[in-house]
Amino acid sequence: MLKIPPLLTLTWFPPVMQFSLPPLNDHNLPYPDTMHPIVVHFVIAMALFAVLCDAIALFTKNTRLYEVSWWNLFFATLSIFIAIIFGQIEAGLAEPYDAAVPVLNAHTVLGWSLSAILAGMTAWRFILRSRDPGKLPIPYLGAGLVLAALVCVQVYLGDKLVWVYGLHTVPVVEAIRKGVL
Amino acid sequence: MNPELLEQLGPQLGPNGLPYSIPIHPNLVHITLGLFIIGIAFDFAGAFFPLEKSILKMLSLTAVRSNFFDVGWYNVLASAIVTFFTVAAGFYEIMLATPEPGVKSAWGLEAMPTMLLHGVGGVFLLAIIVGMAVWRGFQRFAWRKDMGRQVQWSYLLAGVAVLGIMFVHGTLGAQLAAEFGVHITADELLRTGQDPNLLLK
Repeated sequence: MLKIPPLLTLTWFPPVMQFSLPPLNDHNLPYPDTMHPIVVHFVIAMALFAVLCDAIALFTKNTRLYEVSWWNLFFATLSIFIAIIFGQIEAGLAEPYDAAVPVLNAHTVLGWSLSAILAGMTAWRFILRSRDPGKLPIPYLGAGLVLAALVCVQVYLGDKLVWVYGLHTVPVVEAIRKGVL
Repeated sequence: MNPELLEQLGPQLGPNGLPYSIPIHPNLVHITLGLFIIGIAFDFAGAFFPLEKSILKMLSLTAVRSNFFDVGWYNVLASAIVTFFTVAAGFYEIMLATPEPGVKSAWGLEAMPTMLLHGVGGVFLLAIIVGMAVWRGFQRFAWRKDMGRQVQWSYLLAGVAVLGIMFVHGTLGAQLAAEFGVHITADELLRTGQDPNLLLK
């Protein structure tokens, strides 16, 4: 087994501030499992459910669902920034092999874009909601559908990184360390 | 499953052991977990509403207590519905799994015990989530219909316990993927000595 040195040992700091991150494990992570796929539960589920609730509310006139949608959207927006932080850490430690690089890049670009889009949708919704919480204009509902579609594309790209390219999975990390990949 | 039985599916299966390139189960898991966890979280937010009032006001977020309970109810209900599909897809994909024997996970388990625990645990969790949704429904529409706090403390406590089970269960599932390489194309290619970098271009 190859020994991996600590990720960072900042010895030039004064002794009090010296620290080192835990050594990387066999997932090439300083903590037990990938965190990004866990945090994205909340972005994926909350964003998609928000759009679904808007759609159902439109047809059933159950305006209560607009509030359910709003709070889910609000939570999706909070979560996406945490998801991006972990995503960047884990992308940085992924050591993607050549075939995986274009997908990782696309996933990164779309991830940051989605944070802006989600924040924009939340801001827009905030204003609409403060004016009249019981009504949504058609353009907003259209934007919701676009958002849902983009989330699905982003999930597909992330899926490819895990399920096709196997980033941070033990066999792939091992192959990279041995120089096979 | 027995490789000879898998032969019956023949050329339908790709290098990842599935008839499609991306497993379906993990995607439905996002929905099950996201909805359930946020559902419980919002019931907590509703239960402790008097404490948050000033914070919400400071953020100029208009919030009505009953809205938080609406989120708690609809999210848990939706989670219960989706989880039937999550478990169904999970069983389909677990039956097509052929992990390598002799590998041990971080928890010291081999692939088969991990798969069995995750499979049985999935059915168990489905029952719990549906049970929680039914319990929530009774509180919402009967027992606590006219009360300010729509959820019982015991429900919230049970919710936290379910999150604990989900953590264990989810970690077992993550180990099936990230440690045993189940249904991950690159891992399965490496196992047969092929180069994912060339084949997955």
